[in-house]
Amino acid sequence: MNTHDPIVGRYVYVECEGKTYRTYYEENGEGIPLVCLHTAGTDGREYRHQLCDSDITANFRVIAFDLPWHGKSIPPADFYLMEDEYKLTTKFYSDFIVNFCRALDLKKPVVMGQSMGGNVCLALALRYENEFSALIALEGCDHSPGWWIDPLHHPHIHGGEVVATSVFGLMSPESPDESRWETWWYYAQGGPGIFKGDLYFYSVDSDFRDQVQKISGKLPIYFLTGEYDFACTPEMTQRTAEKVRNSECIIFSGGHFPTSEDPAKFKTVITPVLNKIVQNDPERRGQPAAARAANLVELRTMRASERSAGRRVVEL
Amino acid sequence: MATYQSRKSLDLEWIERWARRVNEDCRLAVFGRFFTSRFVLGVDETEYLIDVRGGKIQRISEGLTPNDLGFDFALKAPSSAWAKFSQKVPPPMFNDIWAMAHPLHKQLVIDGNALPFWQNLRALTHMLSLMRAV
Repeated sequence: MNTHDPIVGRYVYVECEGKTYRTYYEENGEGIPLVCLHTAGTDGREYRHQLCDSDITANFRVIAFDLPWHGKSIPPADFYLMEDEYKLTTKFYSDFIVNFCRALDLKKPVVMGQSMGGNVCLALALRYENEFSALIALEGCDHSPGWWIDPLHHPHIHGGEVVATSVFGLMSPESPDESRWETWWYYAQGGPGIFKGDLYFYSVDSDFRDQVQKISGKLPIYFLTGEYDFACTPEMTQRTAEKVRNSECIIFSGGHFPTSEDPAKFKTVITPVLNKIVQNDPERRGQPAAARAANLVELRTMRASERSAGRRVVEL
Repeated sequence: MATYQSRKSLDLEWIERWARRVNEDCRLAVFGRFFTSRFVLGVDETEYLIDVRGGKIQRISEGLTPNDLGFDFALKAPSSAWAKFSQKVPPPMFNDIWAMAHPLHKQLVIDGNALPFWQNLRALTHMLSLMRAV
């Protein structure tokens, strides 16, 4: 017997900074759009557990896309002519997220990003607060220095192994081994220089320390950081959250990749946040389980009665 | 007193037990087979020269002499940091050499030629993680 995940994957064409990007995304569920942002150098597989979690997908249309150059999203066609190495910028990153949401006609989605996806939430709050209904910044803060370094993209160093190994210690030693090594594998599969190029955004181009006070507070922002995160420590997140209006800060006993390194632990941490978002947005939640079950019964009953009474056919 | 206790736990005898545990590791023999290097493990003021060939530790020397003709790279940290690192479940910020070396935390210094350090990061990291099995 075959077993499938309920995830569906598609490609959508997204315009950004004058170029068109064939962009891969996966989705499952119905209700409030929840757009998930992967970490540096990886792809949307980091959210595979949340995409399959019926407790989440009952109320949220969970969508995880691969940024250009990542996962199954290819680079721009003329990438081989680039005169500089790949560098993700704050402007491109935040514009691309907005343009992706528009390409899918999403109305006021929630964005949940981790690591660089958490940091970019601050740019979204500063530049695009009217586009979203809430932001969830996992392992995010206003400045994460020290990661844009050459050994992560060097011809004498095995990029896949060194990139994956350099982030392994960001995970909690108490997260399940199988999940930590799956996360290691995602990192080992990144394209050459892409992790480092993403870290240009993470460590260089996204210093929000003097800007976060300007966030209006119109948009609720939830910060969640694991205590083993040495790139964005609990203290760094707390200091950021203190400066951001209408924000909450949750510190938990995990690491830098909560969605993939320990999905079960992450579920216990994120559920209260998602419940709050649903409570604040009741019209867009998915159908309650009881209502879905009632519909099913009704349909089945109708079919049974139709069969007993003989099928009615209207010929035109 | 606390410093003395943790220092004692990383003496030559302890390093030798760790090295024997490293050499028993069958997976390291595979993915570490190209790891050949001479690196220094610095514990407070003591420098242990670790001679690695094909992923196995061939020799440990306590202290450096002119006859060693130097080394490739060095990982130096206070004994208190190594003691935390080698706990079965190490505490946050001490569970990884890059965590300890990161400019935000500065518990561990990487000296010398960093190229072989990065080139062998996977095998080296695994080797050091076996301190938790000593």
